[in-house]
Amino acid sequence: MRSLPGAIGPALIFLAGAGLFAAAGRLPVVPVPGQLGPDFWPRLVLIGLMASCVLKILEVARGREGGGEPTALLPLSRPKLAGGMALVLGYPALAPLLGFPLTTSFFLLAFMRLAGTRRPLPLLVTALLGTVALLYLFVKVVYLPLPKGAGVMEDFTIFLYRLLRIF
Amino acid sequence: MWETLANLAAGLAASLEPLNFLMILVGLAIGIVAGALPGITMLNSIVLVLPFTYLMEIVPSLLLMTSIYIGGVFGGSITGILFNIPGDPMNVPTTWEGYQLNKKGQVRLALGMAIMASAIGGFLSALILTFASPPFAKVALTFSTVEYFAVVVLGLASVVVIGQVSVAGALMSLFAGMFLGTVGTEAQYGITRFAFGIKFLETGIDFVTVLIGLFAIGEVLDQLSGSKAGAGGDAAAPSTSRARLPSPRQLWALRGSIVRGLGTGVVIGAIPGAGATVASFVSYGLEKQVSKEPERFGTGVLEGLTASETSVNASTGGAMIPLLTLGIPGSGATAVMMGAFLLHGVQPGPLLFSKSPHEVYTIFVGMLLANLIMIVMGLLAARSFAQLMKVPEPILAAFIITFCFIGAYALRNDMADVWLTMLFGVLGFFMRRYNLPIPPLILGVILGPLAEQYFLTSMVSYGNDVTVFFTRPVSAAVLLTSAGLLLWPALKGWLARRKALRV
Repeated sequence: MRSLPGAIGPALIFLAGAGLFAAAGRLPVVPVPGQLGPDFWPRLVLIGLMASCVLKILEVARGREGGGEPTALLPLSRPKLAGGMALVLGYPALAPLLGFPLTTSFFLLAFMRLAGTRRPLPLLVTALLGTVALLYLFVKVVYLPLPKGAGVMEDFTIFLYRLLRIF
Repeated sequence: MWETLANLAAGLAASLEPLNFLMILVGLAIGIVAGALPGITMLNSIVLVLPFTYLMEIVPSLLLMTSIYIGGVFGGSITGILFNIPGDPMNVPTTWEGYQLNKKGQVRLALGMAIMASAIGGFLSALILTFASPPFAKVALTFSTVEYFAVVVLGLASVVVIGQVSVAGALMSLFAGMFLGTVGTEAQYGITRFAFGIKFLETGIDFVTVLIGLFAIGEVLDQLSGSKAGAGGDAAAPSTSRARLPSPRQLWALRGSIVRGLGTGVVIGAIPGAGATVASFVSYGLEKQVSKEPERFGTGVLEGLTASETSVNASTGGAMIPLLTLGIPGSGATAVMMGAFLLHGVQPGPLLFSKSPHEVYTIFVGMLLANLIMIVMGLLAARSFAQLMKVPEPILAAFIITFCFIGAYALRNDMADVWLTMLFGVLGFFMRRYNLPIPPLILGVILGPLAEQYFLTSMVSYGNDVTVFFTRPVSAAVLLTSAGLLLWPALKGWLARRKALRV
């Protein structure tokens, strides 16, 4: 909890736990008499979560964050982190639209560039050959129906599969 | 005894027949590769080969499946040690220590020790299976959901010894994971919990998405952002990344960890529903408890790696005990194997030993052989996967995320699982950043639903009488051990403070 100011983190989790505890009470089933309802277990778990948050807050308040050594963290590169997160979240967003082959080639290119690969030729060759190898392994051998894309992009992916003799 | 030895000799001859031996080799290779790839589990690969076994006799069919099982439970340790990506949840404790050893430049020893511990655990458990199946099965037969619940609680309690930041932090993480395990359609009433109208949450959160996201994607983002010391190159140099088998002296020094891992693996493996994952967490926790330097756990400790790896493979022999002697499959893998038995017109159970001794003892010997051959196959596999470490970090990181994408998608052919994986990846980054321990959350997601299932079934069976957990001796003993695990850190702190005051 080093970077979270004081006990704000556990307090927020406590509040979320309380909200979910209330939500568990609104589950739409009347339990069978003599049997525990579907809300029993989640509520038990949420009580545990809230109790551990209180323990954590007390721990912070007493200045005893106990346990092992904190990991050696250095200042992070915010542009790289933002770029990395955008790519990681953009990948599943674009794959159903553009299809797995095109999105993966783009993702590999962009991520390797962001992570420090400078030379354009190896970058391009790795991204393209890597995508083709993955297609052969997972679509042709394992029969995994990876996203083909929507509309015209689906036609493009099927054309690509035929060209590569995957279909 | 002599009859058993004679049966074993006949089983050895049958196992060495070309087709049977080939099935052992093929099964090990498939198992190790499938186990090593996140998202493609050992169980998936056993299911995938089932149609091929229709064409075979029962012995090669079962040798193929048991070899996949043996190779599969080990395979995930390779990628765990090399890339911090455990292939299966059962390989998570091995990853905690193995990857740290890798970062210290001891990757060869970590891989070699994992291979040897797996082989020893698997071999000895197969021996135990051979000689002690019937009495063992009688004990397991007396277990009900009450005992299963107690064993799962023991697995959850190990969070205290796993947690590296603080007990409160570890418990927060554990309960958050257990809550995630409650999301989706609930089994008893069939209603949807905590989906909040989001369609893909109705089917629940697959623990593989949590596992891949928190470990693999979170690690890649952490290294990419340069927040960790030595980011981008903190794994061992490629020249040192081949496996090196430990010397007899090193193995002897770790004999205690091996014996404890073996015992935990066989006992927990023999309990239907518990399996290799619970065995690995419990044995790791036990090892930390008995260690003279528990604070070093999580920094690359061979004892932790050895115990968990021994127990994982020892659970394979244990899991076969209820299947062969009682006809009760205790895990997904043994359930598929039971299907193979039935497809060939053989009913597993007490009569199997008298009706089909040839088949049974060939499987026993096949398991013994598979564990020995796994040393060679493991070395070759580790060497092949280690070549990946020569790949420049940016390329490796990009492909790791792509494999995570495919692994998550392959679970249900659903983009929702990919989204969850990526989102858990982002969460994993922040958990690392703010020093919240990740392993307890994983443990909660995996064991939480099991705990709920066993608890509610016990309550239905025993009229909501919670005292049943304390009146049944095995359950009471296991729960007492769990309480001891939970209270031990506080007690140890109190004793230390008292000692300091006296001085």
